[in-house]
Amino acid sequence: MTTPNPTDRAPRNLFLRVTTDVHFWIPLCVLLGGLILLDKLS
Amino acid sequence: MPAANAITPPVQTPVHATRLRTLQSLGIFCGFAAGAWLGGAEAPIKLVNPDISPITVSLIMVLGVFLARWSVPAFIRGTAHVRNDVRQAPHLIVWAVLAGCMWAVANTLTIYAIRNVGLSIAFPLWNTNSLLGIFWGFLLFNELHYAGWKRWLGVIGGAICMFGGATLLAIASSHQAAPGKAALGIFAALGAGILWGTMYIPYRKAYLTGMNPLSFITFFTVGELATMTLLAVGYRGATPLWHELVSARAVLFWLMLGGFVWVIGDLFQQYATKYVGISRGIPLSNTNQLWGLLWGILVFHELRGAGHTVYAQVAGGSILMALGAVAIALSSATAREHSSWQDAADREGKRYGVEGEYVQAGMEGREMQGRAATSAGRTMIDWLLILGTTALFAVLAMMAKLPQMEIGLGWGIVLALAMLSLLATCGIALWRTTRFR
Repeated sequence: MTTPNPTDRAPRNLFLRVTTDVHFWIPLCVLLGGLILLDKLS
Repeated sequence: MPAANAITPPVQTPVHATRLRTLQSLGIFCGFAAGAWLGGAEAPIKLVNPDISPITVSLIMVLGVFLARWSVPAFIRGTAHVRNDVRQAPHLIVWAVLAGCMWAVANTLTIYAIRNVGLSIAFPLWNTNSLLGIFWGFLLFNELHYAGWKRWLGVIGGAICMFGGATLLAIASSHQAAPGKAALGIFAALGAGILWGTMYIPYRKAYLTGMNPLSFITFFTVGELATMTLLAVGYRGATPLWHELVSARAVLFWLMLGGFVWVIGDLFQQYATKYVGISRGIPLSNTNQLWGLLWGILVFHELRGAGHTVYAQVAGGSILMALGAVAIALSSATAREHSSWQDAADREGKRYGVEGEYVQAGMEGREMQGRAATSAGRTMIDWLLILGTTALFAVLAMMAKLPQMEIGLGWGIVLALAMLSLLATCGIALWRTTRFR
């Protein structure tokens, strides 16, 4: 996996830094769970 | 692409003890003000005909939220500050949009919860988000590190109190709702709590990095509106949704007002999160449960006809939750704990290449050096946002009708005045201490 350069602010590099941040996947998974629950309730 | 040589590595110096105490007190005050406004925001939903789909109700609320999240920052500081913040930490746009998506789904779940188990029951259930907030704060952002056993006891004891209160209220819900409906309402409320509890990860990321809450919410709301529009069109269909919106014109004002009031509460909550962290900020703003209870019982007569046992359960559960929140509030961060927050801020700054002075200024609630002189005031766009939003709300207010239901208007006015007093005093405190940084 490419290591993002912290001083490069190109959009692609910023996106890479966000998606390689493990913190990002926690809220994303919870959001998907919330959408599934909403689907069951609707 | 060459490296941006203007970016200096984030090296933090400890915040002065007096300044730290001031910011902690301000954060606590913001948390209580948030509670009042977040609690009051749910009341307008009760004025709405239950025949309208919850998703449509949520979409209309989010429209009000969207307008508020742009017009309030435009009014307070001007949107030029938003551009400055984005230049410093552009990655936070992604985090803000993600948090906004979570908020929209959680908000829709709360409407199902309110309809199935009632406002006074649903509130404490989704307010268990504070337990999750404490967990994420500790695990990801060094909150409660080096806090000492008294503060741990305050936070964990408070959290257990709040959980006990929520459980008591859940038991009371079986007296309020029809069998089968209660379970759906409880699932919806707990789901909203998990979403909101996790939504504070992006919040904390943003504020450790130094972003201004007024900037964060403008991108946050893009996620909210996009998610709600997709959900509403997906579940209802474009044409039925349009017909429902047109037929709901008499209640558009109440729902959008609910969204607007929510934004004021959320803004205070964001400042609380910024200055006392998520492990303290969320429980404090969860005092909205008490405000929700007051609105539900005094204005909407929610528990009328219920037995003494139900009243005892609801009141006991609420008091228990409030005591838990107070215990957490009294366990404010020490200088040593705060220095571990700064370590987390350093980590974020290094990962995302954010200028050290920007991160430091954000933590100290002051303007970045050199920024004050270059900051622009309000532009024509800001005034258009402010006037356009005001005009739209005025038009909707003229179309609005009060539903045929018994409302304790006197109590409603008293509660609204109390909220306005908190808005004024906390707003002044924020201005004097941080200039809304």
